[in-house]
Amino acid sequence: MLSTHMIKGETDHMKKLTLTLSAVTVAATVLAGCGGGDNGENSSAGTNAGTNASANSGTNASSNADSNANTSASGNNAGSKASGEVVTIRTSITDGELSKDQIAEFEKDHPNIKIQLEALDATKLAAELATGDAPDVIRMSGVFDLPGYVIKGIAMDLSDRIANSSVIKSDDLLPIADIYRFDGKTVGTGPIYGLPKDWSNDYAIFYNKKAFDAAGVPLPDSSKPMTWPEVIDLAKKLTIKDGKTVKQYGLSATEWGKTEPNFNNMLQYLLSAGVNMNGDNNGSIDLNKPAAKDYLNMWVQAVKDGIGPNSINNDQTSGGDLFLSDKAAMIIDGYWYSGAIRSNEKSKTHLDDYGMLPTPTAPGGTRVAPTGGATGAIINKETKHPEEAWTFYEWFFGGKPADDRAKTGWGLPVFKSKMDLLPKETAFDKQVNQVLQDELQYTSQYLQTNPYLSSGGWPIFDKYAAPLYFGKSTVEDAITGMTKDANVVITEAMSAAGQ
Amino acid sequence: MKDRTRRTFAFYLMVSPWLIVFLLFGLYPMLYGLFLSFTNYYGFNIHHLKFTGFHNYHNVFTDTDAMHALGTTLVVTAFNVPLGVLLGLGLALLLNVKVRGVGVYRTIFYLPSIVPALSSVLMWKFMFSSNDGILNNILKLLHLPEVNWLGYDYATVSLVMMLLWGAGGGVLINLAGLKGIPRELYEAAEIDGASGLSRLTHITLPLMTPVIFFNVIMGIIGSLQIYLQPILLTGTELLARPIEPNYLYFVHAFQQIFAFQRFAYGMALLWILFLIILLLSIVVFVTSKYWVHYETDQEG
Repeated sequence: MLSTHMIKGETDHMKKLTLTLSAVTVAATVLAGCGGGDNGENSSAGTNAGTNASANSGTNASSNADSNANTSASGNNAGSKASGEVVTIRTSITDGELSKDQIAEFEKDHPNIKIQLEALDATKLAAELATGDAPDVIRMSGVFDLPGYVIKGIAMDLSDRIANSSVIKSDDLLPIADIYRFDGKTVGTGPIYGLPKDWSNDYAIFYNKKAFDAAGVPLPDSSKPMTWPEVIDLAKKLTIKDGKTVKQYGLSATEWGKTEPNFNNMLQYLLSAGVNMNGDNNGSIDLNKPAAKDYLNMWVQAVKDGIGPNSINNDQTSGGDLFLSDKAAMIIDGYWYSGAIRSNEKSKTHLDDYGMLPTPTAPGGTRVAPTGGATGAIINKETKHPEEAWTFYEWFFGGKPADDRAKTGWGLPVFKSKMDLLPKETAFDKQVNQVLQDELQYTSQYLQTNPYLSSGGWPIFDKYAAPLYFGKSTVEDAITGMTKDANVVITEAMSAAGQ
Repeated sequence: MKDRTRRTFAFYLMVSPWLIVFLLFGLYPMLYGLFLSFTNYYGFNIHHLKFTGFHNYHNVFTDTDAMHALGTTLVVTAFNVPLGVLLGLGLALLLNVKVRGVGVYRTIFYLPSIVPALSSVLMWKFMFSSNDGILNNILKLLHLPEVNWLGYDYATVSLVMMLLWGAGGGVLINLAGLKGIPRELYEAAEIDGASGLSRLTHITLPLMTPVIFFNVIMGIIGSLQIYLQPILLTGTELLARPIEPNYLYFVHAFQQIFAFQRFAYGMALLWILFLIILLLSIVVFVTSKYWVHYETDQEG
């Protein structure tokens, strides 16, 4: 409340000031924060781009201090090894993938390099890339991100370094490593831009025998793949309901979410069906294909039938929780999930109840067991410290951490020689390994993603798929809408890339 | 006059730390964003930008998603702001009563506004859930049909319910406002024999209008920019697309920028939102002279 002793003139003056300030506050609150919550850093998106010629300016005070010190002291960071200067390499590899102990070990062997982990989600990374503040070693999905990053000129060509490396031996690499090769048009050919840290046959199925027993359904033959409609039918049989209450579901589609179709899963189906949605030079996509419609029809019915937690039954329990607590009989996941089963408190005491089934196919389709992630990293082309970044890169992807990773069984190595390190003690390990050996013969094909759409396919798919579950749209309209929306993004991204 | 100059100088001196930070980290990025909204910026082509004139702005009005999202956002705001302001005021009136343990109640009602959005959404998600969610269990107890709180028909209602849960955030400023009303006015009214209700309508409410005015303005600004809650209510990550009824304007901008790297278009979307907020704020400011009572004005 304003003081009652104030004369009117002053009050008006104060009111004017208050109004001015309020107006400014309005402006500030609206525009300064594109992200007001967890993503405050988003506001920097698209704001200082262009002013940052140097890759390391911005986000991290300590790393900047380090790199600035280097620049002024040695003048040339490439020579810092010799001069004993310490260089900080920033990476978005997560702390779950690179432990403090491993970092300490590396830093002990390489006193000139400090490793700094930077927790990044897709939104923050997009902002950092836009402003030239991205880390030196950028973690990413090989399948969905790599081609786009190459087109955008973010990835450094590592072909020569890998060819000359004594740690990463080219002839020891499995064909799957080629997913980080891209010639501008086709994945798998052209320069090498990176390596996966590990990978999996991500659309395979894991089963929970207890849930099969509860439904009185025998386990499927693990020596040959089912078709997706067979999987859905099986899931229906495995779903046990008591009136309206679900006692057990047949299928979890993902470990984190709902049993609904998704873009990535559709790409595997299309790959098996031999259908490519991409037009010439990836300049457009067309989903108006019978296989895409079959896929959607099959899944919409599956959602309506409630074979797993979904938007209609509004069960908020995650797929992984259900599977590990014997409340879902199957889960769609690759080899890496065996690591989750081995380490989870609920499952590790009775591993024999679990096993892997081969990646299903489209009806009448060919057998394919592609990876849906191949998480790995590239070296940022703009890095100020390419030598040190490479030293770290070589160690993380080919050195001791690679061995450590393989031994845990949380994913498959990219080196033939490291395949022997995978767990193979228990009956569960043996069952999984046996199916894996079979699957490995079908991993040479890659999901046919579109480099200009990168990871935008998922939200576009969701936009048009969700109304289908509630009967608010038709499959025809959904396919048309997905195609249209994706092509808007592709056309704009191509034009921005100068193509 | 000289005194006024001195006062003005002192005023700007005192706000200067904020002002400098605002100019550097607020205004400059905003104007840079404005500049980018006239280009084909896609997150990586900063060195070879093409100017596209008003193309992005034109696209906003032909983008059915954007227009639909704007409509939904205005509807959510139309419910969220008045209900939120009323609830905040009502709570403050109750919490202004001198009863034992009022401090505890004040804390309880204020608590939701300091719980991070992520945690509160997670909590509500389980309350809205159909399997053992508390809301459906209550409906079951009352022998009412269970509903899908996060499905097409109820998702927006659920969102507004969840947002109103944070209405206690306004209690702090409302209480400050209530405490600022001179006691003499109530004493005088009591002597004149005014009832509790007429004291509320003739003293409390008129004198609270500046606070209500502030809450309405801030409510509108905040409400038009909601994005985290609808995304997380039906999705599990930030780039997840909320179910259509909860697809708000800011979510659309967020998706365009971060899921599709349409930075320039996203900037255009946000500048249009800025204009809408500015317009609504002006409307509230202009109408305020009819309903906001400044104690000093009445005396002057």
